[in-house]
Amino acid sequence: MAKKLTAAMTALVLVGFGSGPMSAAELGAVDEPIKVAMLEWTGAQISAQIAGKLLEKAGYKAEYITAGNYPHFQGLADGEISASVEIWLNNVGEVYPKVLEAGKIEDLGSLGLKTNEGWIYPKFMEELCPALPSWEALNDPDCVAHLASPDTLPNGRFLDYPADWGSRAATIIADNNLPLTAVPSGSEGAMIAELRAAVAAKTPLVMMFWAPHFILAEVEVGWIDMPPCVDQSNEHCIMPPDVNKAVWSGFSEKWPAAYEVLKALQISTEDQQAMMLAIDDKGQSLDAVTTEWIDNNEALWRPWVDAALN
Amino acid sequence: MTAVWGNRQYRIWTGLLLLSVLLVVLAQHVPLFKSFPAWLVLDLSTWLNSVISALFETLRPLGMLLSTLAEMPLAGIRSLLAWAPWPATSLLVILVALYAGGLRLALFAAVALGMVVVMGYWPKAMNTLALVIISVPVAVSIGFALGALAHRLPKIRPAMIALLDVMQTWPAFGYLIPLLILFGFGPTAGLTASVIFSVPPMVRNTLVGLSDVPPAIVESALMAGARPRQLFWQAMVPTAMPQLLVGVNQTTMASLSMVIIIAIIGGFNDLGWEVLSAMRAAELGRSLGAGLVIVLIAVLLDRITRGFAERGGRAISGGVLRAGMVIALILAVLLSGYDLLPGDQAQRLLRRIDGWLLDFVAWSAPVFAVLRNAITYGVMLPMRIGFSGSASPMVWGFALTPAITAAYVLVAVALALILGRRKPMRGIVTGFAALLFWTGLPAFPWPGVFAVIGVATWQKGGAGLFALAMAGLGLAGLSGLWVPMMQSIYLAAVAVLICFVIGGALGVLAAENDRFSAILRPISDTLQTLPQFVFLIPALMLFKVGEFTALIAIALYAVVPPIRYVEHGLRNVRPDLVEAGVQMGATPWQLLWQVKLPLARSSVLLGLNQTIMAALSMLVIAALVGTRELGQQVYVALSKADAGAGLIAGAIITAIALISDRLLRRRVSN
Repeated sequence: MAKKLTAAMTALVLVGFGSGPMSAAELGAVDEPIKVAMLEWTGAQISAQIAGKLLEKAGYKAEYITAGNYPHFQGLADGEISASVEIWLNNVGEVYPKVLEAGKIEDLGSLGLKTNEGWIYPKFMEELCPALPSWEALNDPDCVAHLASPDTLPNGRFLDYPADWGSRAATIIADNNLPLTAVPSGSEGAMIAELRAAVAAKTPLVMMFWAPHFILAEVEVGWIDMPPCVDQSNEHCIMPPDVNKAVWSGFSEKWPAAYEVLKALQISTEDQQAMMLAIDDKGQSLDAVTTEWIDNNEALWRPWVDAALN
Repeated sequence: MTAVWGNRQYRIWTGLLLLSVLLVVLAQHVPLFKSFPAWLVLDLSTWLNSVISALFETLRPLGMLLSTLAEMPLAGIRSLLAWAPWPATSLLVILVALYAGGLRLALFAAVALGMVVVMGYWPKAMNTLALVIISVPVAVSIGFALGALAHRLPKIRPAMIALLDVMQTWPAFGYLIPLLILFGFGPTAGLTASVIFSVPPMVRNTLVGLSDVPPAIVESALMAGARPRQLFWQAMVPTAMPQLLVGVNQTTMASLSMVIIIAIIGGFNDLGWEVLSAMRAAELGRSLGAGLVIVLIAVLLDRITRGFAERGGRAISGGVLRAGMVIALILAVLLSGYDLLPGDQAQRLLRRIDGWLLDFVAWSAPVFAVLRNAITYGVMLPMRIGFSGSASPMVWGFALTPAITAAYVLVAVALALILGRRKPMRGIVTGFAALLFWTGLPAFPWPGVFAVIGVATWQKGGAGLFALAMAGLGLAGLSGLWVPMMQSIYLAAVAVLICFVIGGALGVLAAENDRFSAILRPISDTLQTLPQFVFLIPALMLFKVGEFTALIAIALYAVVPPIRYVEHGLRNVRPDLVEAGVQMGATPWQLLWQVKLPLARSSVLLGLNQTIMAALSMLVIAALVGTRELGQQVYVALSKADAGAGLIAGAIITAIALISDRLLRRRVSN
């Protein structure tokens, strides 16, 4: 309650003093809450909370809608979700491109995360396969023997993304004639569970993964130096994915200043990872961690809000 | 052996066996028989999609209207539950429990709700409750109306029952996309799926209740001059009320379980979402906590609705109930606005479970690796790639030489002949088993599958079942899902086999020993009501991504029906017959195998039926640990928002379930 009150007061103050002749953008429908998508993973939840809290600082009401990554694009297109601030463009399914094409959602550009994607292994494996992190290690029969499993014999087992994310790893394995078989993992949870278990039990594992991710703060992994790409296409070559922000097509008209705030919003990988660690490892609440960030980084975000309002 | 040729039945099946052998031999040289021909595969999902999107886009305004209508009361109940402080809501629930089931139930309610609060799941539990409160009345009304309709018009009953079976076996994820297109993003799509899944028990119980109204009551009502409407509402419905309330109970349970699964859409921040998020982060403690809360709520809802069904409530007077309600309301007004929920200490405690699990994994990894390899090499690989595939230096350590092939054939033929000497059907079954063990289930030649299933369904279920089987198999072939379908059947078959052996043994023990039974029952209850996602995390850590982990997850859920039905069957064997066996000097072992189990046969078969249903319903969940079968296809379709592909994969799973159900059910009635 107290928080809502503060937000309302902030809104009053901002409405009272902020709407001078200099205003770059109208506030718009301040009474209607802006619905920010809260997706499944911690990183996206942090980004959503920061976006929501900045909107509150600018005088809006923010409402968080927990949503599945794939289904939520439909909600964004229909305006039932107003904004989604952490969209990994390498994992958008097939609805996102369609609704973007149809003009039902608007891309607001990069969130500013420095991402990584590639093949990882638990650090202890460097003792078993001394050639790591070079990809050549995966050509060494002794190293591959550590990875072999009944399903993949005589090849080594490579843990791939879930089948519904598409498999580039299998293509790259084939491009380089590596003695590995890509096994689809079924879900993100399955990948994390295996990685945790592999580190705990010291069982060898090579898998596809991405950063920033909270698990990387918890376990020590190495990134494999990838073999040269056959060509630069997405299918044969892994590039760091873009992470963008997007809003419903009617957003800029309804909440003009909020649109400017979200457009300006940037979150650094270091900050996000530190917050992920605080939440997932130290068990602090999402609300407390993001509020702390807002309090400590006013110098960073104040210009975004001011530019939108003045 | 003359008996074999004297009987048309045996002749047909021997012919089929020989045909299958021929196909297996031919398949090595003719690729046409080996895998379903690719040129026959049609782009069914694209066609289906063009129809579905056109249809659902036109219906969309209607869908949006319905969704607004559904979401208004939902939002109301949700904010009411969010506003009411937990002591007030708890008091109300405890009073209802007291009214429905007496002091013991009220005590249980108090402890259960206290745990929900302490563990920090109260707001999420209230959101789940809001979903259940909206979906149950809708499902009960629809179910009652359909049941009354089917009672009134006996002609539509078979079609209605088939429809109910489809509604219960079609995986919800398979039709989620059309629902999302229709209703838009939001709770309505999930609520609709929950209603679809939970209507059937209400229809069935309404039908049974109305049919069982004694004719004497109907007649005396007619004698008293009741008009049709009065007859129905004032004579039949009150008489059928206990059965109707059983329907309400089952509908409530079904609704709760589906509300949890459907949380995958998101948008409601409920317990199901919590379980899913925990699964995503592979946190056992968190998902176990949410799972436990779900079990507590399920048991509470079950006991309360069952209390009404069995005794009609009234453990306390209405006056006390009303007085309590007033107190709860006053409490709510007084306490609202205060933050009374405890902090996150319990959540931190739950996180420790993950540490313990990892310690256990580190300590036990070698043991479980051995178990995993033993079952993979010994059971799963032979059933998947068969003897012919397993007999390689890579798998079993020896190659498939002509001598070994000859020996296999010789042993198989000899075994079939010996076993078939007195009971020819046993010989034929042995023959098929040997053949399946040779090719592995997924690689059995597809024309053979058509032939065997075709004859079996025709003989057991007539033209209708035959048509269903052919349609299901044809759909799988034509849509390019033949291999995933065979993989699904293989995975479900292995799971059923393992569950039936283990569950059957546990059921026998439970029937013999009351204390063991008492220990086993809450475990069974928990395994069945705990959201299935919770099993996946420890299974993954111990056994890694892959089919074996999927098998464990399926088996943990599907092991319950054989335990229950075998115990139930054995406990209800007529005591005089057992006594007769004892008198004749049977050892306990003989008593079990030759007296009790044969007598409990119909219950055991029903248990087998339920095991198969449970295993098939877990396929979609198990796909989260990386399988390659139909369940995985459902997810792929979900991520691509490919409504057609999801519907097709779901339809094939439904067809498998219906066919195996009908095949076994006929046996029971024979």
